Amino acid sequence: MTVASPLETELRVFEDNRREWVQLCPGKFVVIQGETVLKEFFDEYEDAFRAGIRRFGADRNFLIKQVWKTEPVYFVA
Amino acid sequence: MVTFTLPWDPFDPTDPGACIKFSVARYVDDIEYGKHIGLEFPEPPRPTTLIDTGSPFTIINKVLAKTCNLILTNPAFPIRTLNGDCPCEEYCGSMSFPESGLPRIPAMRILAREFYKESSYACIIGRDVLKRWKITFDPDAKSVTIIA
Repeated sequence: MTVASPLETELRVFEDNRREWVQLCPGKFVVIQGETVLKEFFDEYEDAFRAGIRRFGADRNFLIKQVWKTEPVYFVA
Repeated sequence: MVTFTLPWDPFDPTDPGACIKFSVARYVDDIEYGKHIGLEFPEPPRPTTLIDTGSPFTIINKVLAKTCNLILTNPAFPIRTLNGDCPCEEYCGSMSFPESGLPRIPAMRILAREFYKESSYACIIGRDVLKRWKITFDPDAKSVTIIA
């Protein structure tokens, strides 16, 4: 039996929609829980989180991803 | 406005850097609601964190993120260090700075990874927190002052 990775479904939903969302709202944050995607996109991570809590509650994880064509890599020194 | 001064000797090569006590917890509104319905929340641990202008994000020990039951928002946030790529888990939580008087941050992105062989601190505070403070270093007094 294989165990699903955390937020595996949500990451698949994001990848399935990435191309479309890049056209619509590049740089904004999207919130996904299971197959459910919040209709609103957000400028700030914290606003996306609060919206996720309101919609999905605090009992389960949900994905917050910034919409980019290619994933940026952040350097930590 | 709050002013907090902490000692730091940058001329001591064994000094890990300017450090401050912190605690991390779930989103503040979540805790308040839990208390309202009778849940108990133990006091979170108060480890030491390094003030790190070289990091754009705040990163904590992964064990701490699990212990504090933070909400996972991304299992593989892309980070690169001098040692190469190092994906972190991304959580949302609140952050406090006990005994400093510095204001609590009610909700923020907190990255988490293993801190191998690092015994001096359990977290690095990145520019996402530092941008909220005015920080000065006094080499004569060997101290760092934070104004928030």
